[in-house]
Amino acid sequence: MNDERRGQPLIDAVAGDEAPDSARRRLLKMAGAAVALTLAPGVTVLARDLVLKGGRKARSPVRYGLLIDANACKTGCDACVRACQDYNGLSHDPGPDNAQWIRKVTITDPGTGFTRSFPVMCQHCEDGACVDVCPTGASFRRPDGIVLVDKHRCIGCRYCLMACPYKARSFVGRVVTDQRPWAPRGKGTAEGCTMCVERVMAGKQPACVAACQKAGHKAMMFGNLHDPKSAIAVRLSKVATTTIRADLGMGPGVHYRGI
Amino acid sequence: MHARAGVLAVLLVVLALGAVWATHQGPVPMPVIPRAPGHCVLPTASMRRTHMMLLRAVREEIVRHDARDTRFRITHCVACHVEHTASGQPIPVNAPGQFCATCHTYVGVHIDCFACHAAVPRNPMKFGGIGGSNSVQAAFRIPQALRGRFLSGGAGGGR
Repeated sequence: MNDERRGQPLIDAVAGDEAPDSARRRLLKMAGAAVALTLAPGVTVLARDLVLKGGRKARSPVRYGLLIDANACKTGCDACVRACQDYNGLSHDPGPDNAQWIRKVTITDPGTGFTRSFPVMCQHCEDGACVDVCPTGASFRRPDGIVLVDKHRCIGCRYCLMACPYKARSFVGRVVTDQRPWAPRGKGTAEGCTMCVERVMAGKQPACVAACQKAGHKAMMFGNLHDPKSAIAVRLSKVATTTIRADLGMGPGVHYRGI
Repeated sequence: MHARAGVLAVLLVVLALGAVWATHQGPVPMPVIPRAPGHCVLPTASMRRTHMMLLRAVREEIVRHDARDTRFRITHCVACHVEHTASGQPIPVNAPGQFCATCHTYVGVHIDCFACHAAVPRNPMKFGGIGGSNSVQAAFRIPQALRGRFLSGGAGGGR
């Protein structure tokens, strides 16, 4: 955990937050680096990786992320899911129109029968598709890497639900009552994992990580990926990990081991 | 001709009766605003004029720039201004006659803050447990005067 910056406004902690001028330069660089393929008049495919590499921002001193060890995650255990629902005021009922911020996924290799179970939530991408497609700027990435929905701006268009390859966003289609004061949520807005931003800003771990440790599995780890001395960064430097759909080039902040 | 005069006379009588009735009703009564204990974050006169601007400015600062240690959080408004039933249950601040509703009903302004925000305070220790003895204060950076309202018994703290 990065304790020094606790309580400071985030904006002070992150040097070089983009000025309008540098944003314009970035756009120009992007245009230069992009490989564009024009299929038909008005239909252009941009090579996403090249576009993004040209415009990579200066490295922020804080990048919150998770490391999920699928080797330690127990099949059938849903302590993280329930903790998320309890803390953020979501329903335990897995109904089709209930919001889902974190879910357990089981993968099986049909050839070998190798099976793994692990949680998937918002991957808090560096260049998330949800942020790209949002027409109002409601879907945004904080300078510390946490991706949030500003529900004051969300118009409920659900474009982010469609764009996210991790299916991490949910839409609230019904009137919500009994919200938690620390997790406002209401009808007509998109939402997803907030990495328990209120807890994190208070120097605590997200509810799912705390629940996993309490359950004794220790399959989830939270911390500042950009602090080389943090436990998560040390761990990431020692064990082989991957991110889901790394090929999409979105730079997820959630790393997985053993999948 | 006589018929038309008759209609006019009836109309005048109806209008006169209506005016008498309206006078009898008097103006719309002034809202009765429940009083919260202690002092507000700003003088009452300032809050009456500027609370909507403060909330709007602060919501942007908190959500997008993480300026969470401000006094002007809607959770703080709710924590101070919530009323309780005789049995100690908190009454939502947007319920009829409660702090937010009483004025906004009077002036005919619809507020949708509480479509998303909780209208009663909650003790985070009861919901998945933040853990640690100081974590409740830390989580919300509640002004000293308000801390008891989050920490004491009942769903939302005592009066």
